[in-house]
Amino acid sequence: MTVRHHATDETLMRYAAGRLPAGPAMVVATHLAGCPACRARVGRFEAVGGALLEEIEPVPMAPDAFAAALRVLDAEERGPRATPLPTVRPRRPGTLPGGIALPEPLRACEIGPWRWIGFGVRASAVKLPHDPSARLTLLRVGPGRKLPEHGHFGTEFTQVLVGSFSDGYGRYLPGDLSEMDAEVEHQPVVDPDGECICLAALEGGMRLTGFFGRLIQPFVRL
Amino acid sequence: MNALLDHARSDGSPGLRLPVRGRLVTHLTEGNAMPDGCELARLILKIAAERDRQAFARLYQHFAPRVTAFLRKSGLPANTAEEIAQETMLSVWRKASYFDPARAGAATWIFTIARNLRVDHLRRVRVAAAAESAPPEEQEVAPSSEALLLATEQEARVRAALKALSDEQALVLRLSFFGDKAHSEIARELGLPLGTVKSRVRLALGRLRALLEGES
Repeated sequence: MTVRHHATDETLMRYAAGRLPAGPAMVVATHLAGCPACRARVGRFEAVGGALLEEIEPVPMAPDAFAAALRVLDAEERGPRATPLPTVRPRRPGTLPGGIALPEPLRACEIGPWRWIGFGVRASAVKLPHDPSARLTLLRVGPGRKLPEHGHFGTEFTQVLVGSFSDGYGRYLPGDLSEMDAEVEHQPVVDPDGECICLAALEGGMRLTGFFGRLIQPFVRL
Repeated sequence: MNALLDHARSDGSPGLRLPVRGRLVTHLTEGNAMPDGCELARLILKIAAERDRQAFARLYQHFAPRVTAFLRKSGLPANTAEEIAQETMLSVWRKASYFDPARAGAATWIFTIARNLRVDHLRRVRVAAAAESAPPEEQEVAPSSEALLLATEQEARVRAALKALSDEQALVLRLSFFGDKAHSEIARELGLPLGTVKSRVRLALGRLRALLEGES
């Protein structure tokens, strides 16, 4: 899988700093799972975090903090630690339509049922194990279908999992990440050779433009 | 940090006497000397290999006050920052065997632990860790001193690169690293148009990347 559309420096820096909202962070994590180049870039930005940590003016800990830490270690050595919380297992083995395995970062998530939302688009809400409020959506769009032209209030992050789509900015294949800025309006069209499944998250909301867009805006909740 | 040092220094006084599997951690040997990256990495490896509390004390003394400062600067209240710093250091002890000095220097590794705990704390979700959800295999052989040097060199290179940025670029970078601020807020703070801030962030990151990739 050759990745042709990568995350921006800004996004990877925010990811490395732990400052991307949960939904977009999961889309980026999915991209990283398949993109060694971006993983290496994240590593460099994490090293920036390390450098900032080294150069910061230290703040003294409470006088008994170290002793308290040792007491915790003592207790752990005497008895086994409390068993960690059981990890949330997906109910079914996670696959996408067509039997394609879910990308690793999504396997702990709860994948909702596919709902028809119009325009040849089906959507499935993805719930993160410890953050049900995070907005993350799987989109499944038929071959040749055009999504409504839309802009965003924040950046839209879209990772292609299956199939491909094109917009005015390029052609996106599995492994590719599309980041669309707030100001940009675009109209993705799924390539004719097959349906396209993407993982998408928005920072902020979506702004549908055009007659149909405004018409369906109240019904589309992504 | 001073408190810990005062507490633990053994200038003739009994100081800190802690039983460690038949040995005693009695003092912090090198006092105020600032350990370098290589030494910090070795301390983590010592914890992994020998559960060495002396090594833990040295790491704690160096990093706990820095992690606290970092978290406070990131916007956490003082007591929460110290709690998460404490939890970070305990994780360093527990996860020492996952530390791979060929992949990241000591400061970078500890930064990522603190970052993940902060994210967990704020959202109770391990999103930041999701990409690394498959923990790397534990080290079987002791990493070569070459590997140790490599990651430490990367940290040094990053520090040099940060210094090579213009003051303004460094400021924009730090603001976006520490602050949950949207660019619009940074723009207001610096009295600059939003477009200018965005292009500066992009420039700063691009330049930093070029420096780190050795293209400049």
